[in-house]
Amino acid sequence: MVTISELRPGRKAPAPPAWVRIKPSRGYRVFQVVNAVILIGVVVATLYPFVNILAQSFSSESAIRQGSVNLIPHGFNLTTYKTVMKDSTFWTNYRNTVEYTVVATFISMVLTTCYAYVLSKHHLKGRSVLIGIAVFTMFFNGGLIPNYVLVSQLGLRNTLWAIVLPNAINVFNLLVMKAFFESLPGELEEAAAVDGLTTYGILWRIVLPLSKAVIATMILFYAVSFWNSWFSAFLYMDRSDLFPVTVYLRNLIAGATGAGGMNEGTSSDTSLQVAASIQAVTVVLTVIPILSIYPFIQKYFVSGVMLGAVKG
Amino acid sequence: MNGPFTKNTLSRRQALFGAAGIAALAVAGCSNSSGGKSGGDLSGNRDGAMAKYGVGDQFKATSPLTFSIMVLSNPGYPYDAKWAFWSELTKRTNVSFQPTVVPLSDYNQKRSVMVGAGDAPTIIPKTYHPAEEAYIASGAILPVSDYLDLMPNFKDKVAKWNLQGDLDQLREADGKYYLLPGLHQDVWADYSIAVRTDILQKLNIAVPQTWDDVHAMLRTMKAAYPNQYPLSDRWSSPGPGPGANRLMATLGDAYGTWAGWNYQHSWWDATAGKFVYTGAMDQYKQVLQYLNTLVSEKLMDPESLTQTDDQAKQKWANGQTFVISTNAQEVINTLRKDIAHIPGATVAKIPVPMGPMGATKTGFRTENGVMISAKARNSKNFVAMMQFIDWLWYSDAGELFAKWGIEGTTYTGSVDDGTFKLAPDVTWAGLNPSGTQNLQVKYGFFNGVFAYGGSTKLLDSQFPPEELAFQNVMNGRRTLPLPPPHPLSADQREQATLWETNLLDYVDQQSAKFILGQRPLSQWDQYVTELKGRNSDQYINLINQAYQSYKQKHG
Repeated sequence: MVTISELRPGRKAPAPPAWVRIKPSRGYRVFQVVNAVILIGVVVATLYPFVNILAQSFSSESAIRQGSVNLIPHGFNLTTYKTVMKDSTFWTNYRNTVEYTVVATFISMVLTTCYAYVLSKHHLKGRSVLIGIAVFTMFFNGGLIPNYVLVSQLGLRNTLWAIVLPNAINVFNLLVMKAFFESLPGELEEAAAVDGLTTYGILWRIVLPLSKAVIATMILFYAVSFWNSWFSAFLYMDRSDLFPVTVYLRNLIAGATGAGGMNEGTSSDTSLQVAASIQAVTVVLTVIPILSIYPFIQKYFVSGVMLGAVKG
Repeated sequence: MNGPFTKNTLSRRQALFGAAGIAALAVAGCSNSSGGKSGGDLSGNRDGAMAKYGVGDQFKATSPLTFSIMVLSNPGYPYDAKWAFWSELTKRTNVSFQPTVVPLSDYNQKRSVMVGAGDAPTIIPKTYHPAEEAYIASGAILPVSDYLDLMPNFKDKVAKWNLQGDLDQLREADGKYYLLPGLHQDVWADYSIAVRTDILQKLNIAVPQTWDDVHAMLRTMKAAYPNQYPLSDRWSSPGPGPGANRLMATLGDAYGTWAGWNYQHSWWDATAGKFVYTGAMDQYKQVLQYLNTLVSEKLMDPESLTQTDDQAKQKWANGQTFVISTNAQEVINTLRKDIAHIPGATVAKIPVPMGPMGATKTGFRTENGVMISAKARNSKNFVAMMQFIDWLWYSDAGELFAKWGIEGTTYTGSVDDGTFKLAPDVTWAGLNPSGTQNLQVKYGFFNGVFAYGGSTKLLDSQFPPEELAFQNVMNGRRTLPLPPPHPLSADQREQATLWETNLLDYVDQQSAKFILGQRPLSQWDQYVTELKGRNSDQYINLINQAYQSYKQKHG
């Protein structure tokens, strides 16, 4: 019988001794160079906008207007940070985002884990129907207005639940988790059952401890998507003190670019341009917390998704 | 997740809508549609209303009332429940709001969802014609033109300022309108071109009066700075228009056609007494011709048609260009700040250059406005609500309050005799730049949801001296009449929209080619034939039919 520690994913294979290593062929080295160049290109393309925003957030407004800010701040100052941090709405909305993300991620994890675990049991009657129901929602939905009417009539508007419940189970995440659970050896659970564990005991004491990788990955997926989401909050919240910071940020940026679809051109409602530096600071402050989770979860990230995929 | 429950709910909704629609039809059936006399029996809807309310009266509800309202939250002055605007409004009118706060970024979408779900607040402001048309068929929106008798200030301003023709633009095929627009006494000319005045002085050029003068000015600039494009324009999005859409619109006004931002498919030819297709007009060709000349003489940056606003502004900020489209706010907020780092650089918005149309101006005197949910008609406070809306949006006192706030606190003096002044510590846009309290952010006045429209004097009070000089020139120009109403029925509109989409794409695309010289203007006749191939004739026939049938029915 395998022991639990042997099954634990993310265990590194010991490095082979030096004499086993095969000298890389010429073609392989060329590939490595090309690969490195392409990947460096990708890194630059993805990092540049972020570094640029970071530089803008520390720059003076006039330097941004002239387009002279690229990677290094021009006219370095912290006044914009001070201005944004003084805005009480920003902090209220920020607190909402944290609250929504934590609660929503927790509930999503509980529901997704339970659902996925059930679906991973092949002997379950009606399993294919349950899978079908989940998959159906990937391709079809009621549409914007019916959903709104539903949430509204359930009395969820202007509550946290309007954001949490309709998005509680992401079917893609559900399927990844299901595949992961299916990959766990059934003998392990049988043995636990023989030793007297109930179904919940098996899930809690055997399966979940073995699934840390996929759980960490799912937490990351859910947390990032809830942190970034704005649409349900925008739709179901009628008071600005309930908005998450993403709605605040979106409004700020749309106000500056006129992307709101308002006919500003013919309106006497002077569209106030929100300074580019204020936008940059808000973006930076919004992104930093979720960004700082990545390093801690990253080690589970790759192995977690891969395990489900390969063994499933 | 979306099981039978939703379906049930929906069908109940639909039934409700149906009922509302039938009710609306019933009301329509007994109306004479001349406006304002056909709202039916209102005796059960007068709770809280003033028995005697007329022009010049201060509205005050006889008992405390609360109305639900959508409030757009502008990122420049985000919604704040603590604004003095709310508390003072309640003090004066006995009315408080139950607001649904919607960010500007997605205001229209939320409005559509809420109205579509039958869940909209009673008062729905900040709606631009023709956005209200989408909601008429469902019966969700009140035909406000039936209830004008409850709105003495509105009627007074329409009569005093002769706005009937402007209101006719809002009418639907049933002869009613569903939106209470903001009313301006005069056409407000805001957009023109900004010019680097220090360059004018240096090159000894007079401020151009006509578009020919502008052409000459650009040539002189080019001669002095041969490596630069003197004009690089912005506002290439949003559409309509092939790019540089504000410049196109301004030129269109000067030549007597619709172009760029102002583009409409039909142009009223007053001498022939019928509509013609805009994109095939000679005047439209002249606009393209003018811009094509600028491009071919390398006076206008060809990127004007495609670049983003930021790119255009960067060129301006770096002193690479000297002329750009602008409005009053942009001169103060952007253009002047942009060139502050260039020693001696100055900028001014020049009076709109004139073309073949002479000293005229074109434009609408109606603004975005207020829709009212149809269900409000059955509320016992309906009359009070209409009186309240009339006071806040259309009375002199209400407009002054929404714009400048409380006398003695946020402003002093009077708008009428020109003694108006913001309080020393209050600032707004270009006024009182040294003030520390922003009128919008701190107090909630001059909020785009409530403050727009009004007399020219009220409008003028918001301008710094420089803009006032511009306005004085523009006020001297004659306002051209608007085209007669030609509302389409729902079916006609659907057909027209299909043609319009196709035609607009083609007109924009070809206009850009003509301007940039990618297609010679000698192919103009061929282009007109191509438009006909895209149903421009059928389209204009439809519009002319609609015009005729409206004229017969509603005279």
